[in-house]
Order: sequence, then C-alpha cells, then structure tokens
Amino acid sequence: MIPASELKSFTREAAAIVARDKDVAQFEIYCASGDNRIARLNYTSDIPCRGVEELKSHSADGFQIRIVTRRNAHEVGTAYEAGDFSAEAIRAVLARAHRSTIVDPHFPGFPAEPRKLATTKSEKSDLARASDASLVDAAWSILRGAIGAFARAQHRGLVVGGDVSVFRDRIAMANSNFADIRTDESAHFSSSVTALIESLDAKGTASAVGRSVAEMRRVAARLGLDAAGRALGMHHGVRPEAKPYRVVLGPQPVAEILNYMILGSLTTGAFHAASSAYHGKLGAEVMDARLSLFDDPVMRSGAVIRAITCEGFPAKRVEMIRDGKLVGLMSNFYDSHRLATDDERAEKLGMPAEKVPIFPALNGYRLGEGGGRRFDQSPGSSGTNIVMKARAGIEDDAVIRKVRDGLYIGRVWYTYPINGQRAGDFTCTVSGDSYVIRGGRLAEPIAPNALRINSNIENVFRAIIAAGKRSHSAIVWGSSESFHVPAIACEGITVAMVGKAGE
Amino acid sequence: MSRFARAHRGVVYADLRFEVMFHRSGAATNGEPRDSTETESAGFCLSVHVGAGAAIGHGQAGAEIGRLALNEKKMVAEIGRGLEEAYNRARISAREKAAFLKRFGARAGSLAGGAFEPRAPIRDEVAAVYKQDPRTLDPEDLKRITLEASREVKGLGRDIAFNAVAATSELRHELFASTEGSLISQAFAFSQGDVYVVAQSGEGHQESYDTIGQQRGFESIAEGWREELLANPSLSAFAIGLAKEAQELAAAPVLKPPDREVIIVTDPHFNALVAHEIVGHPCEADRALKMEAAYAGRSWLLRTATDNEIGKPVGSSLLSAVSDPTLYGYGHYRYDHEGTLGKRVAHIDHGIFRGFMNSRATATALGVEPNGSARAAEVYQVPLIRMSNTFFMPGETLPEKIIGEVEHGYYVCGHQIPSIAESRENFRISARRVYEIDHGRIGQLYRSGSVMADSKRFFMSVDAVGNDLSLVAIPNCGKGQPMQVKRMSNGGPTLRSRAYLGGG
Repeated sequence: MIPASELKSFTREAAAIVARDKDVAQFEIYCASGDNRIARLNYTSDIPCRGVEELKSHSADGFQIRIVTRRNAHEVGTAYEAGDFSAEAIRAVLARAHRSTIVDPHFPGFPAEPRKLATTKSEKSDLARASDASLVDAAWSILRGAIGAFARAQHRGLVVGGDVSVFRDRIAMANSNFADIRTDESAHFSSSVTALIESLDAKGTASAVGRSVAEMRRVAARLGLDAAGRALGMHHGVRPEAKPYRVVLGPQPVAEILNYMILGSLTTGAFHAASSAYHGKLGAEVMDARLSLFDDPVMRSGAVIRAITCEGFPAKRVEMIRDGKLVGLMSNFYDSHRLATDDERAEKLGMPAEKVPIFPALNGYRLGEGGGRRFDQSPGSSGTNIVMKARAGIEDDAVIRKVRDGLYIGRVWYTYPINGQRAGDFTCTVSGDSYVIRGGRLAEPIAPNALRINSNIENVFRAIIAAGKRSHSAIVWGSSESFHVPAIACEGITVAMVGKAGE
Repeated sequence: MSRFARAHRGVVYADLRFEVMFHRSGAATNGEPRDSTETESAGFCLSVHVGAGAAIGHGQAGAEIGRLALNEKKMVAEIGRGLEEAYNRARISAREKAAFLKRFGARAGSLAGGAFEPRAPIRDEVAAVYKQDPRTLDPEDLKRITLEASREVKGLGRDIAFNAVAATSELRHELFASTEGSLISQAFAFSQGDVYVVAQSGEGHQESYDTIGQQRGFESIAEGWREELLANPSLSAFAIGLAKEAQELAAAPVLKPPDREVIIVTDPHFNALVAHEIVGHPCEADRALKMEAAYAGRSWLLRTATDNEIGKPVGSSLLSAVSDPTLYGYGHYRYDHEGTLGKRVAHIDHGIFRGFMNSRATATALGVEPNGSARAAEVYQVPLIRMSNTFFMPGETLPEKIIGEVEHGYYVCGHQIPSIAESRENFRISARRVYEIDHGRIGQLYRSGSVMADSKRFFMSVDAVGNDLSLVAIPNCGKGQPMQVKRMSNGGPTLRSRAYLGGG
C-alpha cells in the first residue's frame, strides 16, 4: 500500500497542477490505496481438496480527478488512473477529464464546508501491517478447530468453507473549496465459517469481525470449533409444514433483511428515484416504536471505522429510524442536493416541500466490491456500522419464550426484494442454525434448506412481539457494511416447504 | 515465467494473466446528462504453486497498475514484485499444510487434492470483433445516444417517475502465459446498454430494468443487432419498450396467486434466468465439489461422489441444456483463464444429467477432461468456474401452439429477480409480466408475479419446448469472495411446465 504521507503529498502536487489549468473553475482530487487479502477455506473430507485455497490479494492504488469548467458551473468531468502517481499521469487524467465533461444541470459543485477540518484521527490498526503468514495461520487454525471437533464424531461428508479476509484502505483528498488535504485510513478483518455434515444433513456457521491481529488470532482459534460444534448439534433436522408462524429472527437474518430490503430504501437516491419502500413516509412510523436504526462510522466496537467520508466530510452517526419513525436518510453530496431540488419531493417524502429537511451528506463513500475505498468509484450512499437497537429489549432467551410455539431462524440465504425494492416483498431460504420453538424453548433443529420465507418488511419490523436487548455483530456476504443487530420476534411469517435436493 | 520457475525452489506451476483495457461509458437520468467516463487501465494476476507431494501450497497476487504498463521497465518490476509475493504465499501455505498433514495424518487424506494434470503448451491469438473500435468511439455520440433515449422515456408521460439509461463500450486485450509454455493472446469488444425505469399509476408502481449487450462494437447497441440468437433493438427502442411496459404494469393489478400448482408457459427471457440459476450455477464444478458452500451454495446435482444425478433423469425427455462459449453470445470466448480451450458442455441431454463446467483442478477431482470454464471477472482476480452462454436447447413446437393448448394457466414473461435455495433445488423467480391464459388465449395482465417450484419437479414437468430459442445478455452475475461480477448469456425457448405462483 502507498504510505499516507505519499498519498498526501501526491494530492498536494495534483491539486497544484490542476489549479493551474485555466479552463478549470473547481476541482477535486481523490487518491485511494487499498488492498484486500483473503485466505479461503475449502475442506471436504470425501472429495480431494486444498484445505486452504491460495492466499490471494488485490491491490488497487490510484487517483481520480473531477473538474468543473469555467464555461459552465454545471459542466463536470471525471477521470481516474491506477498505479501511476506521476506528474505525467496527472496531466493525462486531467486531459481525459476534459474529454469526459457533461453538462449536468443538477451538479451542485463540490463540498465547501468545513473549509478546514478540526482534527480527525484515523484509526491505526495493526492489521495494516498484518503479515501473509498471520492470515494463512488463521485459516489453518480454523480448519484445525473444525476438523478436531469433527474427528471426535466420526461422520462422513464433512465440509468446511468460508474465509479469513483482511481489508485495508487509505485515502487523501482535496478540493478547490477546502483549505486542507484530508486523509483517513482503516483496516479490519472478517471471517465467516460454514461447517456441514452432509451425512446428517446438518449445518452450522460462525462469523466474526474485528480490528486487530490479536483479535483475528483469537477468533480463528474458536470459529472452526464453533461452526463444527453447531453442525454437530443440528443433525437430522425436521422439515416443518408450510404455514404462517411466529418466528424469532436471529441476528444474521435481521442483518440480511436490513441489508437487502431496508438500507437501499434509506437513501436520498432511492427517494429521488421513487423506489424506496418508504416512499412518502418521512416522519411517519415505519417500524415498531421500539426499534431504532442508525449508521455509526465512529462506533468503538464497530468493524468499519471512518474519520472522514470519501467527499471530505467528518464522518458522523446518521439516525435513520428513531423509535420506529423515519427520521433520516443516508446521503452523498450530489443526492442531497438532487432531492432538495426535486420538484416532486413533497410527494416522494410525504410532507410539504418547504418542510423537507436537507439531508446531510454523511454517507458519501466510494467503495469497491470488497467494501474498500476505491479511486475509480463515484460517491454513493453506503453505511459503515449499521446498528439496530430495541427499546425495552429483553434477554435473547426471553425473546424465544415470548414466542412460545414457532420457529427460531438463525440463518437465511439469498434474500431479495422479489417485486422490487418499493414493494417491500421479500423471499429467502432458511439455510442453517434454525430450530423449532416449543413451549418457549428451542426444540428440534430444522433441516437446512427446508423452508422458504415469503414475506414483506412490514411483517418483520412493523409489529414485533419482542426484540433482544443485545446487538450482535453479523456479516452479510457481499455487503460493505458491518451489522450490529438484535434478535427480533415477529408474527405471521409465511413459510413454504422446499423439496429435498434431487427429489 | 520460465526464468522465474527455474530460479525459485519448489515451483511446480505458475501462470500470469495480464490485461490492458479501454472503457468508455455514458449515462443520463430523467432526460438529463449524468455521467461520462473514459478509462484506460492495465492489471495482472499471478498464480504460483509450490511444494511436493500432498503439501502443495498456492499463492496469488493481483494488482491494477494502469499507466505503469506503458513503461516496460516499471511493468516488469511490478510483475516481478507480484511473482515474489505469490511465491512467498505459496511457500507459507505449503509449510502450514505440511504441518497440518503431519498432525491429522489419515484424517486429512483428502487434502492431497487441488493439483491438475500437466499438458502441452498452447500458442494462439484471438482478435476482437467490432465494426466501431471502442477506442475511436466519439464520446459525444455515446452521451447523445443515452441522453436521447432517456429524454424519450421521460417524454412518455408523468407516470414515468424516474429513468436512467447507461451505455458502455470497451476493449479488453488479455495475455496468458504459463510455466508449461502456453502463450495465448485474446481480445474482446463489449458493448452494453442498461435501462432502469420506475413507473407509477395511482397506487400502483413498477420498477423495471434490463440490459442489452454484445461482444461487438457500439454499433450493435446504437443501431441494434439482428443476429438471430442474441438480437437486440437499438438502445433507444429498447428503453422506450421497457418504459411502456412499466407504465402498463404500474396500472395492472397485482397477481393474487392460486393456492395450487398451475400450468405455466414461460417465455425465453424468463427462461434465461431459470437456465442461469437452476442449470448454470449448479453445473459449476466448484459449487458441486462444495468449494462455494459458505457463499453461493452447493449443487442439487451432486451430493457426494457416489450420490449424484450424473446419468440420471433430472428433467423430462424434452429438456436439454448446454453451456457453449463458442457461440457469439455475451459469454463468448475461445480460451478460459487457465488457458484451456472452451468447449460446449452438455448439462442435460433429453432429460438426463450429463456433467459440469470445470477448471483444471476440478476436472482432475471429477476424473474428466477440462472443458475450459474457469474465468475471472477482472484480470486481478482468481478464475472461478463461470457460465459462458448457458441455455435450454430449442424444440420444434411453435410458441403460439404451446399457449394455444392450455385451457387454463399463466403466461410468464420476462425475468426480474431470483431467490434460490442453497443447492438450487428450489427457486422463486419473479417475472415482469404474468398473463392469465384462458382457453388457449392470453388474457388479463398482472404485475408482481413469480414462479415457485422445486427444481427437479419443475424440469420433470416440462411437456412442451418451443422452437424460439433466444439468448439475453446477463451483465452482473455475482460469485466468489470477494464478489466477482461477470458477464454472460443465458436463454432458452418457450417452455411449458407446472409450478406454484407467488404474488405481491
């Protein structure tokens, strides 16, 4: 990775070169250096395998220049370059930015406030210096735990999958309205492990996120054991009949539904596009009054820590749902302005146009597929640490007792807005870590992949039976956010049966 | 590569993939310009295998180097640095694996896998196909085409609440070199148009999006492409068609599904997603061999080496499906990213399951020949087993006849969103349009309809296959960790089967 000092001095040099261009009225320089390294687990007892796949990495260093021309305050051009941090590259990218200009009547310029940042302190995680050996060792350590647990049970068809991943990024940025060059960096790891005993049709999972090498080592020592232990406890699961149930959704399903069904609706972009599930409901109660939802980039126990956004604003907590009411949206600078000037904003937000608030651009991040900051992305609206809290929450055991008879769903898979985001309808399958609830206690395990949930976000979040007082961390495959959410008990969740594979 | 292998102890195999890419895109929303981008890039991926016996370790390094590729000295230095990194990772892995094997002995016997058979070197060059070179495409043309299309969509009426039209044209030139002596150069031209529309009418609303794409120059998007298998209208006509459909759907009632299994006739666009999710993905050997168990799931076609569907009926005798990279679909290529010649793979032959797409290592695990299906989405990523052009084969029946024979059922058109069970043994896929069929005639239109079925039961119930095979471009198939997003084609003819319907 490029050292922060080099990124900063390059940003200064690029700003100086672009500022000398007589056709440029405003500009922004955004530099990012990032890498992710992943050790993938792939153990199959009955099929030849590698155990741990190749330790792989992807390094992406580069910069982006955005310009506004002197001809027109709405004529904007963007271009970027990987790898080459030379003056020649700056001039080449500037020329490309000129060639790529468009006149966007809604382009609001670049952020101007604050002109100079009060001190922001980036996180200095030792994961930024984690060696390849520590990652490979963590992966084999997980396998040792899982296989050690399986060995005592002597079953056939053992599978251990998952990964240990380390994500690191650094940025430096400036624009012609800022008086300073702004920098930030962060690093975190995530690990998810799936253990299967195919002869018993059993599956268990475990996952963790964290911000230090010591933490990664610590969780690696137990994740394999935990996942395998859960699988061993899930053997010969039952296949409940299709009907509506009272259901406890564990942290992973809650995180998954938030990720695929809710967060996309809680952006200014979605409201402008008339595609939010909360269309016309700003200020209205959209969830149970006990639930609140926010994004917190500076949360101490969060995995994804940001000091500034990718547009240069100090990162801050953004409240989206407070006591069940829709009170805020994630936004970037362009989308905040676009919604504020949208002629249809009264209808889209559900309040008189003059009362529509300005949504601060506190979620403008430029992220790649792995969730790291990338030089070639435009600012979108993304979260960091998504937190759901429940007022008057109770112990997790008590949540299960409240349901009395129903299902505990611990893991779901492939959750999608089946009829589009705005409709709020979703479907997913129950893929593991789930039980029948009888008499307020967990009873028989449910066979993985035996049930499909067909429901709507209203059913899940609108009138809950109870919610846990503790927020648990959860990972969603492919998501850039880290989740910290409670278990939620809800009424009338419809499930359909899934036939056994090959039948 | 040869010098590297000779100079480093224990290297049993290494390969380099290198790519340069030119990309131009434009986008407009609600009849106004939104984006224009021109990118030139370069990157590489290095893969090294080190060790002996069962204790082979694997290492990889991928990087984007951009303009450094213009300076030979700097480029070679970057690749050299990547090779050292990949080599060291492979050594660490080999060392850890050896210790693991020592500790677990026979219980870790399966860890001998992952190797592949050596083969003779291949040398070849493959040119890209285009009339309009993406590098000489005037950026103003691209901006104008997206802007005009977006304006035309907006002009359809106030019930179009939002629209976005985007277009891209790019040229990629890949080089593959391995320590086995292979040296393969392949170039690809991709052109793509994407449209997203939100329409609302009273209480009704409809979000629709779709893509057209060709492995050709931008002429295929600007003017349309009439080739039979993968045809598309011009971007403008495509956008207007999708928007008009969204308007009609926003005003249509939500499907209230019957509570029983019904006869459904599915059109080629809907079947493209069925072929993708229920045939293509479960026919990827890495998934079948449980390598994706923690992410994208397993395969309903292979439970164990001895308990699987190979050679058994998984569909009616009318049903056949293949993957064929040799066809000029959006998933066309000659060599995969392990340097293996891509071949047509028969998955289902008259109802009988025949086999998987594979990589060199998974082919060895399955005891079959490699068929050239390992491909990465970006040059710096590792190859995964991916679909090429995966589709149901055509039959001989006219689609009108298939519908005309239905006394009561539903005609399901256009795919939207899939949700698939973990081994793809069950699915719910939403359609853009669902029509009731009454006495062989197409009747009432519904929105928010979807098809729910167990995969094998659905395939076994197919009782009619149309002669109207067509492919559609799929621009965004996600797989792997971190997610790789890949382009391909899927398709099929009209099919008739039985399933449950889901509504809104």
